[in-house]
Amino acid sequence: MSSATEKPDARASAVSSGDRPLRVLGVEYLNARPLWESLRDDPRVDLRLLPPSEVARALSEDEGDVGLLPVAAAATIGELRLLRNMAIGARGKIRSVAIVSERPIHELDSIALDLSSRTSVVLARLLLARRKLSPRLFGAPPEEAIAAVSGRTGALIIGDRALDVEGRFPHRLDLAEDWLDWTGLPFVFAAWFARPDAVSREEEDLFRVAKQKGLARADAIAAEHAARSGLPEESLRSYLTESVRYDLGDEELAGLQRFWTEAARAGLLPAASPSFEEPRVARTRPSLDSILSRAADGERLSVSEGVRLLREGSLFELGLAADAVRRRKHPHGVVTYIIDRNVNYTNVCTTSCRFCAFYRPVGHPEGYVLSREELGRKLQEVKDAGGVQILLQGGLNPNLRIGWYEDLFRWIKSEYGLGLHALSPEEIIHLARLEELSVWRVLERLHAAGLDSVPGGGAEILVDRVRRKIAKAKCTSAEWLGVMRIAHHMGLRSSATMMYGTVDTPEDRILHLVKIRDLQDETGGFTAFFCWDYQHENGTHIAPGDNGTHLYLRMQAVARLMLDNVDHVGASWVTQGPAVGQVALRFGADDFGSVMFEENVVSSAGTTFRINAEAIEQRIHGAGFKAARRNVRYEWLTEPSAGSGAS
Amino acid sequence: MLEAIREKVLRGERLGFEDGLALFNEPDVLAVGQLANQVREARHGDRTYFNRNLRIEVTNVCVASCLFCSFAKLEEHMPGAHTMTLEQAWKKFEEARAAGVAPTEVHIVNGLHPGLPFSYYEDLLRGFKRIDPTVHLKCFTAVEIHFFAQHYGMTHREVLERLRAAGLDSLPGGGAEIFDEDVRRRISPDKATASEYLEVHRIAHQMGMRSNVTMLYGHIETFAHRVDHLLRVRELQDETKGFQAFIPLAFHPDGNGMKKLPAPTAMDDLRTIAVSRLMLDNVDHIKAYWVSLTPDVAQIALRFGADDIDGTIVHETIYKAAGSRSPDGLSYDELVRLIREAGRTPVERDTLYNVVREHPKARAPEAAMKVRDRKRALEVVS
Repeated sequence: MSSATEKPDARASAVSSGDRPLRVLGVEYLNARPLWESLRDDPRVDLRLLPPSEVARALSEDEGDVGLLPVAAAATIGELRLLRNMAIGARGKIRSVAIVSERPIHELDSIALDLSSRTSVVLARLLLARRKLSPRLFGAPPEEAIAAVSGRTGALIIGDRALDVEGRFPHRLDLAEDWLDWTGLPFVFAAWFARPDAVSREEEDLFRVAKQKGLARADAIAAEHAARSGLPEESLRSYLTESVRYDLGDEELAGLQRFWTEAARAGLLPAASPSFEEPRVARTRPSLDSILSRAADGERLSVSEGVRLLREGSLFELGLAADAVRRRKHPHGVVTYIIDRNVNYTNVCTTSCRFCAFYRPVGHPEGYVLSREELGRKLQEVKDAGGVQILLQGGLNPNLRIGWYEDLFRWIKSEYGLGLHALSPEEIIHLARLEELSVWRVLERLHAAGLDSVPGGGAEILVDRVRRKIAKAKCTSAEWLGVMRIAHHMGLRSSATMMYGTVDTPEDRILHLVKIRDLQDETGGFTAFFCWDYQHENGTHIAPGDNGTHLYLRMQAVARLMLDNVDHVGASWVTQGPAVGQVALRFGADDFGSVMFEENVVSSAGTTFRINAEAIEQRIHGAGFKAARRNVRYEWLTEPSAGSGAS
Repeated sequence: MLEAIREKVLRGERLGFEDGLALFNEPDVLAVGQLANQVREARHGDRTYFNRNLRIEVTNVCVASCLFCSFAKLEEHMPGAHTMTLEQAWKKFEEARAAGVAPTEVHIVNGLHPGLPFSYYEDLLRGFKRIDPTVHLKCFTAVEIHFFAQHYGMTHREVLERLRAAGLDSLPGGGAEIFDEDVRRRISPDKATASEYLEVHRIAHQMGMRSNVTMLYGHIETFAHRVDHLLRVRELQDETKGFQAFIPLAFHPDGNGMKKLPAPTAMDDLRTIAVSRLMLDNVDHIKAYWVSLTPDVAQIALRFGADDIDGTIVHETIYKAAGSRSPDGLSYDELVRLIREAGRTPVERDTLYNVVREHPKARAPEAAMKVRDRKRALEVVS
């Protein structure tokens, strides 16, 4: 059971025995078509066509061996091998990536971003920063982005739509052209990137042949696409043959390197260098020390760098680097905590997660829904103890309709005035399905009824392979992130969590962190991150995987290093115990979570720590910090208090 | 300051009182831990020791009234007081042997019982050896030895010789508390003084017996008292070389005369382990006694200077009485797992640190942890 044999990416044996075709991930877009079209009928190749962001996800989750990957995603994943002399780029106008507007770019005060190409978004940010412009940027679906253009609002438009609106708006900034103007270099949008040891030199030739065949068919491809899209054929032909450049020569490589360097400098992407060599043996592979010191300095790390830290970093190296990041983000030496109560309003649930000892199926004699009297008593206790919010979560109970929640929220607000940190994404999705409403509409109604923030529970591991094994009935990763995206756009804040230590690998945990980081780039709505290991106990049905206090401290430290755009990391003392929780304050955490009155879900699984505010402050002081109470937005409610001295 | 200390440590230079104090006051506890870890790894690499031992407390009746103690009862007839018959004590050993992994060590610590004949203790030892002649008997703290000498009118050496004749192999380190006379007078006024404690160990070492030594921290003592304590240990060790392991013991406040004091926090536990490793350049082993620290914190301590985690214990009552959240005992496999999860090499030892069995180290910390049945015992429940 060595870690090496568990790694899913070693395809070497499969290649030599030839028992599995090469898994190739292509992009549906027109400009990518010449590169993959002739691979469709090749029996040596299993081609899947996906949107660009899905190619990145699928390649990093080992659903493919090689993918036509946007270059921003390639830097984020890290340790990929670039195939020679093939790319999608431009030297000058690309035509299909542009900021359109009614006014000149420097007069815009906001820009709607089509988020389907992260590379274009990063490029747009760099080009705006170069001009010292800082309009408000907001994500929007493509049609809405175009519709938003008016007055001082522009839009970043990508793909067919960008071709479609050529000439429609008086101002148009072609990003590749502007890049050339700035750097004198071509821009590379995407290229073939392979997972380590996944594509042999012979197999690489398949791609070169495919490119030749594809380019020879450019006219036909343009004609077919014209028929499908309704765009003028001639325009598409010149797009494919003149605007897009499919070569990856020295100049393009220099352009790619420049983009990665600028983006890393701006903190938008991890530092990266293109490599045609297998990354593990490449001379340019960074040392663990250099990864750690870059992380400590606040630079962005790639997936592969995160995995290396988790696998190879020593406890102290990780702790010291995470502590340095914590110190830089929170220089006042203050650790916060909150007085709140976790109220599990019902244990009736239709999900039957294998790691959960708390739920009861519908109709089970031990199923409950808390009455107003019981809730009222609990809430009054919270008020009496100086509490400021409740964390309200429960099972997916089909008998509770949205009206029940709205009434409950209004009642809690009017009678008790407590903050409502309520309903994890799973519960929101459940309500949307039950009521046949959109997630947006459900959140809007709950928000109107008093919802303040969304707890990040139920994230488990945001990799679907893992979710299917441990929580088959739960929402997918994309759905979980989708609820958070909408909540953040609505102005709600949320926390993010991770439960590791089931069937997940170090790779899965890092991918989870990067998905949170990506969404945070987009919305900025996550306040804090908490992680804990799976609490195995009676009534749960999966064996524990990786756990232990060492792993907890390492995991939390790596999370602090990876999540460069999340302000707070909390120590999960409820699951780890107050002693380990305290130590965790030196491994990147700046928050000690909450004084809990009860936590039915975790305590059903055997972990029942309970300490009061005084004991929390004692531990915060003992770790060398000042202690302050906070609200759900991490604003201090008390003046930070220093300890009384020794130990 | 830490830089200067680091240089001294790397040069192999001995640290002084001021260095010790600076290490206790250094804000960056991780840096202190890392330095201690360096020393630990230079001495032991990844090797981390544990043993199969059985704790027995045959009596909790005790004439001393130490403020920190929740275990002792002053007289035999008091509620909660108990004294085992010899047969009951031996049965504990036989039960532990029958339960699977036979203990290689019996570790006995008791109250200072005024009403038992000395022969009780001699017979006790003989009985264990009758059951298993190879078992190592690590019995009676220096405080008990001193009490025996006074109570039965013998010299320390006579007590030790008679007990050795009955089967005693080595002395545990309990009863050291804090050596500083003022602190000691306040927390344990009516038992062996610091110099008497150290004298018993000196004599035992001169007789060729090995022993351990402890420090009870986190109550009313200051950092200066802790450093002073460490230096006195180091001084005797220079003279006799008889101490095998130093064991910092965290004060637990429940049910004793100092129950208003908070227990030391995990940070203090780890720091104390680390400073002990750095100060005691002449003591081979620093033990993270899991009963005192909880298994979770003991596991972290294996990176803060500790190279030993103690043993299976089976049944401990002294810390239990003071509110420890640790389980009664850990199984052999749980100890191996704890050590492997910390990325260390588990080495089963006997009492004298001879290797019984070396287990393979996990290839990486991340790969160590595929353990199928994690027992309830490890989940510390309040």
